[in-house]
Amino acid sequence: MDFDFLQPTDLDEVCKLLNEYKGKVKIISGGTDFMIDLHKDELSPEIEYIIDVSNLRDLNYIKEDDNKIIIGAGTTHNEIANNPIVNKWAPVLAKATNSIGSPQIRNRGTLAGNIVTASPAADSVPALLVLNGKVKIKTSSTTKEIPLEDFFIKPYQSKINQDELIVEISFKKPPMECKSGFKKLTRRKAVDKARLNIAVLALQNNIDEIEILRIAPGSITPTPERFEKTENILLNKRPTKELIKKAAEQVSSTMIEKSGYRWSTEYKKPVIKTMTRRILTRVLEVE
Amino acid sequence: MKADVINKSSNRVDGYEKVTGKAKFGADINFGNQLYAKTVYSEYPRAKIKKIKLNKAKKLDGVVEIITAEDVPGTNEMFGRFPVLAAEEVKYVGDGIAVVAAESQEIAKKAVKLIVVEYEEIEPILDMKKAVKDTKELVHSDKEDNIIEHSHHLMRKGDIEKGFKGADVILERTYYTPFVDQAYIEPEVVISIPDPYRKGIEIHGSIQNPYSVQENIAKVMDHKISEVKVIHSTIGGSFGGKDESVMMMAARTSILAERTKRPVKMVLTREESMTESCKRHPYEMNYKIGAKKDGTIVAIQDEVYTQGGPYNNKAMFANWRGSVHATGPYQVDNVKTDYYGVYTNTIYGGAYRGFSAPQTVFGIESLIDELAEELNMSPKEIRLKNCLKPGDTFATGQKMGKDNIPIPLKEIIKEVCEKADYEKKVKKFKEYNKKHSEIKKGIGISCTLRGAGLGGEGIDTAGATITIDKDGSITLISDLTEMGQGMRTAHAQIAAETLGVSLERLSFINTDTSIIMDGGPTVASRGTLAGGQAVIAAGKKLKDRLKKVAAEKLNCDKEVIIIKNDQVYEYDNVNNMIDFDELIGVCIAEKGISLSAQGWYNPGPEELSEETGQGNAYPTYVYGCAVTEIIVDTKTGEVGVEKIIAGYDIGTPINPQQVKGQLYGGILQGLGYGLMEEFEQKEGYLKTDNFDDYLIPSIKDIPDINVILFDFEDDFGPYGAKSVGELGIELVAPSLVNAFKNATNNRIREIPLNLERASLGKNLSK
Repeated sequence: MDFDFLQPTDLDEVCKLLNEYKGKVKIISGGTDFMIDLHKDELSPEIEYIIDVSNLRDLNYIKEDDNKIIIGAGTTHNEIANNPIVNKWAPVLAKATNSIGSPQIRNRGTLAGNIVTASPAADSVPALLVLNGKVKIKTSSTTKEIPLEDFFIKPYQSKINQDELIVEISFKKPPMECKSGFKKLTRRKAVDKARLNIAVLALQNNIDEIEILRIAPGSITPTPERFEKTENILLNKRPTKELIKKAAEQVSSTMIEKSGYRWSTEYKKPVIKTMTRRILTRVLEVE
Repeated sequence: MKADVINKSSNRVDGYEKVTGKAKFGADINFGNQLYAKTVYSEYPRAKIKKIKLNKAKKLDGVVEIITAEDVPGTNEMFGRFPVLAAEEVKYVGDGIAVVAAESQEIAKKAVKLIVVEYEEIEPILDMKKAVKDTKELVHSDKEDNIIEHSHHLMRKGDIEKGFKGADVILERTYYTPFVDQAYIEPEVVISIPDPYRKGIEIHGSIQNPYSVQENIAKVMDHKISEVKVIHSTIGGSFGGKDESVMMMAARTSILAERTKRPVKMVLTREESMTESCKRHPYEMNYKIGAKKDGTIVAIQDEVYTQGGPYNNKAMFANWRGSVHATGPYQVDNVKTDYYGVYTNTIYGGAYRGFSAPQTVFGIESLIDELAEELNMSPKEIRLKNCLKPGDTFATGQKMGKDNIPIPLKEIIKEVCEKADYEKKVKKFKEYNKKHSEIKKGIGISCTLRGAGLGGEGIDTAGATITIDKDGSITLISDLTEMGQGMRTAHAQIAAETLGVSLERLSFINTDTSIIMDGGPTVASRGTLAGGQAVIAAGKKLKDRLKKVAAEKLNCDKEVIIIKNDQVYEYDNVNNMIDFDELIGVCIAEKGISLSAQGWYNPGPEELSEETGQGNAYPTYVYGCAVTEIIVDTKTGEVGVEKIIAGYDIGTPINPQQVKGQLYGGILQGLGYGLMEEFEQKEGYLKTDNFDDYLIPSIKDIPDINVILFDFEDDFGPYGAKSVGELGIELVAPSLVNAFKNATNNRIREIPLNLERASLGKNLSK
């Protein structure tokens, strides 16, 4: 395969090129997914241009204002995992990005890349879902923002159009008192994709009632999503072992509802139940 | 006499080159005007080739030559029935059909896609058991069954029926192991060039066994063996793997090189390497064991099937080793063993560190633990009771502990268990497991003995040449291969010790088949054992010549000349001396003495009966025992290995640091084998072909490892050294599953012990 490799120097140029070469262009940032596709010859034959956005300064930042945390699309997993703002306001995201691949992959791979690949097993996505993350998308003439939970269509396919680029991921600062957790289950202890993963964010009031609860399991549905039905089991209640057990069972049955009975279900069904039970027990500090 | 150079952890003699990047691996080597070759692989696990359409590819700019089976000048069937290129039928997905030589890798890749092959699909033979039973469906139509030629090896000792009659307890169990990959860091590379000076071909590459490649390529090219010259490049790991695949690559590139009269380079991608190179044979091991109530084993019967794939040149050897070791390191009076290699239309089995031991030791060491459970005995006690002791007889009838060959299993098991605090841990974990319903801890033992070198498998000869130059620097050429294992350093230490000089004088040359005698393959942990003896032989010849000249010069008897630490002097009269460098000058400039000598080692054949398997299998043995501690999440199936304590008797270590490195490396590969490694195939197609799906342990999976080296006196090998290369790998998987049983009360009879097996007791497949 032969391509023209383009390295625009600013964002406007990227958008201009995307518009001009619509349908014939693929974006490379960290390259941790792209290079695999290239190696396996799995790139669409229509692709004639590669746009490298990895050197664009205007895509690499982590900022906060009074209400929000804003992360540039080209920020790497390691930059996020080690960032003090992220660690203060969203340790769940720091933990999730720190679980991706190896140090080398985390130094190259970017947050937007992890999202746009739309893998059901992406590690950053469950964390961003419980943070109610939003994705800012730009074209040469428009800018829009959509909730992350509306971003995915099916495995490895998102709503991003051919002339669009993710430029930013943001989320509202959760209340300081929020507790959260992220757990990833793998076949080996490092450099592995998730067999299962799950993120939880919760807020309890002074009499322990749950005011906020967001649960996002990964790798069990075609597209990652929050399990609101499960959240409702515990919402506005004091957590108990029994309620958590019920919630965990709910996650398991919702998985089968959404994904059907697959070759891996026999394993995943009991295990996601256990993982949900454990992470809720830990985050909600139920004895 | 105290050793000066051996038994010391000196730095590697090839360390400088490797650390500075000076060492060139196969892919780094380029010749002017070279072409790049790429193979067209089969699209089906089994099919008739109807038509190969090369037209489009031939027209592609930059394509210089394309060959198919028709273009093979000599034989198209190499050792083990491997074709250079499939002619009529493809028999697995790794079969080559055509090879392109082009001006660049990219063009070669494009050209391969333009070649269209028309097939007629045939139902592949995939299941090993079915292949054995159903002799109507044959992988090779010229055969009467699917059993690999010369792969049936047996052992008959005592009277098996009588043995079982005398047993109080009889257990029958079956164990399974998968195809696994050597996972060397460097994929295979071969470059063939038309010999620039004479008729013939010169082959460079990541070649573990240069002489077998030389012999096979001579037949393929219709050349004399002397017209084929093989030089191995720096090799980035092999573990038995860079053999069949590089033989095929050498054949294909040699044909292209002769046709185009240009150097031809072929570098495999990881996917090609995983598809085309050999794996460890999967085993199905059907065991029956009989024992007395007190734990004494009275009989073991086993029938073992080893999966070969469509071509095989290792099952006939590996199965012999397996049949010898099938009853483990135990005294068993009545033995009946049968090993069979089986042809299937799948990827194929070959050599991978251990050569039957990782499978066999997993089987027998699981079985012994199951017997202990049945008899309510401790796994440690049952091993101590039955392990081979001086005066016992091995499965082959060989008397153990004779001729200064030690048999220290009992001592090793006891000491390793003591260091591991085995009994206390068993109790402690029992308490822990009572208190914890989901997370469990377990501890498991395994032990082994391993025949050193080739033994009855073949002639264990090896050669080495030592040359001393004018300035006293010394070049050592071994006919065995350095692949990263450290053989060169061990050989250099042995040479320096023998000659009485410092290690710094030693330099090495890569094995070149045109300048040194064929000393067999670098396999079977024989690099030091056999190769080291050849180095000593060469060193002694030179030393004798040096002593003669020194005696004349120092005016004393040759017998009283000492050469030590680069000094040459008269015994008991140290001041009557000559500097080593000066002596070299005298030898060369004054006396015209040859300071180049070849050493040859030939221990002679081992005698074994083909009808019963009885006889002396190996001249000596190495031993080991491991205790493994694990933690299991019974809900998720996550198994964490916490600690491995392993003791080995490998004789006197030539370089203790390297020996430990070898053992650590083997232990880690054993860990991968036990926990996660497995090739997944579906209907003959390979599902795992790179390291994203084929998992090997990462640094975070590595437990605390404590290696204890025993050194029971054994004067068979060079300076008391024996074998180390393969021993480390075989103890981990069995001690792991035994620990898993201890933790969870569930017995796993098929590895790897992955998430599904650990939580559900079975594997799930896509």
